[in-house]
Amino acid sequence: MAGAVRDERAWVRGAQAGSASDFEALFRAHWPRAYRAAYLVVHDAAGAEDVAQEAFLAAVRALDRFDAGRPFGPWLHRIVVNRAIDWARARALRREVGAGEAIEDVPAVERGDPSAPLPEDVVGALASLSPDHRAVIVLRYVLEYTPGEIARMLELPRGTVNSRLRRGLDALQGVLGPAEER
Amino acid sequence: MKRGVQAALLAVHVPDELEAQRRTWAVVRGAYAEREPVPRGSRGLRLVVALAVVAALVAAALSPPGRSVRGWIQDRVAGQEDAEPALVRLPAGGRLLVVSEQGPWIVRPDGSKRLLGGYDDASFSPNGLYVLVTDERRVLALEPDGDPRWSLSRPSPVAEARWAPSPGFRVAYREGNTLRVVVGDGTGDRLLAENVASVAPAWLPVEGRTALAYADTNGRIHVVEADTGQRLWSASPGAAPEQLVWSSDGARLLVLTPGSRHPLYRAGGRPAGTLETPPGLDVLDVAFAPGTRDVAYAAFDPEAGRSVVVLEAERLQEVEGRLDDVVFSPDGRWLVTGWPEADQLLFLRLPGVSRIVAVSDVRREFDPGARGATEFPRIAAWCCPAAQ
Repeated sequence: MAGAVRDERAWVRGAQAGSASDFEALFRAHWPRAYRAAYLVVHDAAGAEDVAQEAFLAAVRALDRFDAGRPFGPWLHRIVVNRAIDWARARALRREVGAGEAIEDVPAVERGDPSAPLPEDVVGALASLSPDHRAVIVLRYVLEYTPGEIARMLELPRGTVNSRLRRGLDALQGVLGPAEER
Repeated sequence: MKRGVQAALLAVHVPDELEAQRRTWAVVRGAYAEREPVPRGSRGLRLVVALAVVAALVAAALSPPGRSVRGWIQDRVAGQEDAEPALVRLPAGGRLLVVSEQGPWIVRPDGSKRLLGGYDDASFSPNGLYVLVTDERRVLALEPDGDPRWSLSRPSPVAEARWAPSPGFRVAYREGNTLRVVVGDGTGDRLLAENVASVAPAWLPVEGRTALAYADTNGRIHVVEADTGQRLWSASPGAAPEQLVWSSDGARLLVLTPGSRHPLYRAGGRPAGTLETPPGLDVLDVAFAPGTRDVAYAAFDPEAGRSVVVLEAERLQEVEGRLDDVVFSPDGRWLVTGWPEADQLLFLRLPGVSRIVAVSDVRREFDPGARGATEFPRIAAWCCPAAQ
């Protein structure tokens, strides 16, 4: 873990100094989790790509100002999740005013994909939550931040984070509870 | 249970991951190449950088998120050179309130932004702690993250809710052709005036005062005491008012009219001269510079198809197309205007426009995931010195 942190700091410093290979290493190390986090909040592959792409572009723009002594991931994830919330809210509004567009039309889940490791119920249960609730769940269980860190990233009271986590777990319990008992 | 949640979310199949990574890397790599320092006078390196920018734009346009913006790119004007590709920070702190087709957004000093919801109009509370929005027949006060603090429903459509100056105990809004006032916690709603024109009311910006200017359907303006309904003064500007704007010290009220002569009034109602704008130009927005009685306006020449932003007698910026807004930073050192034809925001450093910060790709910034052409967003406000 310490080695990974050292690597990351070296990549950030190298990228700041103009090393394209260090920048590429930074990108490839962070892409999978950034894209997954975005997808689990927006539930749309093109939207997740849009969000993750914009987050990395923001990283490029701010690279010279970034403190290489700080971890890169939390900074990137804050952008990803906040942009994902905005994207999901915007799409929800568009759906409200769009004629005849039903939620089933949105390719939220790879439906009917037999190779999917879990049933669509997991994503479906997540989709039943608001984007703000999904973001808190993703930050906690995919990106593994503490509730205090999440509160700071989303500029929310700690109690709000805890209540959103509870509500999110309640929504997922119906799907995951029985499996856990096995 | 918690381990189960984590395992389940990490096991979810995320579609198109590798292809999305490949496309994004093409875009991001181009942007990274662009950021490399370019020595002055090095035409070869400038060419490399220009090619990298083009490559990044082409890659972005070919990616799924980029396809939606290609249509309007073909129609736009060149815009300001050296523009930032996105709004990554505000040049003077505070918070920007921007209203797009999706609704109002708050932009923080670091450029991060939050869509507050699908509302029609928005304005800040005096210290920027809340945002007043309207939504068909509702007036709502929102927390900065979009959570409603209170809401008020009315039988007819409502618009242009405005919060009284500090300490902010009153809110005025229009319902149809009436003007109503409600206490700052959403209670005590009552009628203040009837036969009101479709012009946003303007509170006298003096701390503790609750005097309100509005225009009636006969083209007269009135300043009334909101708590008692007492009329403090009235005047007839000679043409139908389009916008009412107080100077930040409350000493001048400017009434924007459709013509080229726009009357000014002192706080007590006596005339204080006129703002004269070039005949034939449509004045699209007007504002007093904070802490001064200097007036800035954006005007569009429909024959020439060009716009100009003027501060007092100084032409700050002239462009092809429209400049929609005139909004000052809280400290008065910057003025931001929207340039729809270039899809840019222009931040002008004052005095004398010693620097211009241009931001591109504005429609996409404020309408993420949009498919097809979208309206250019409107800059509603820039607030507040303490809201960092």
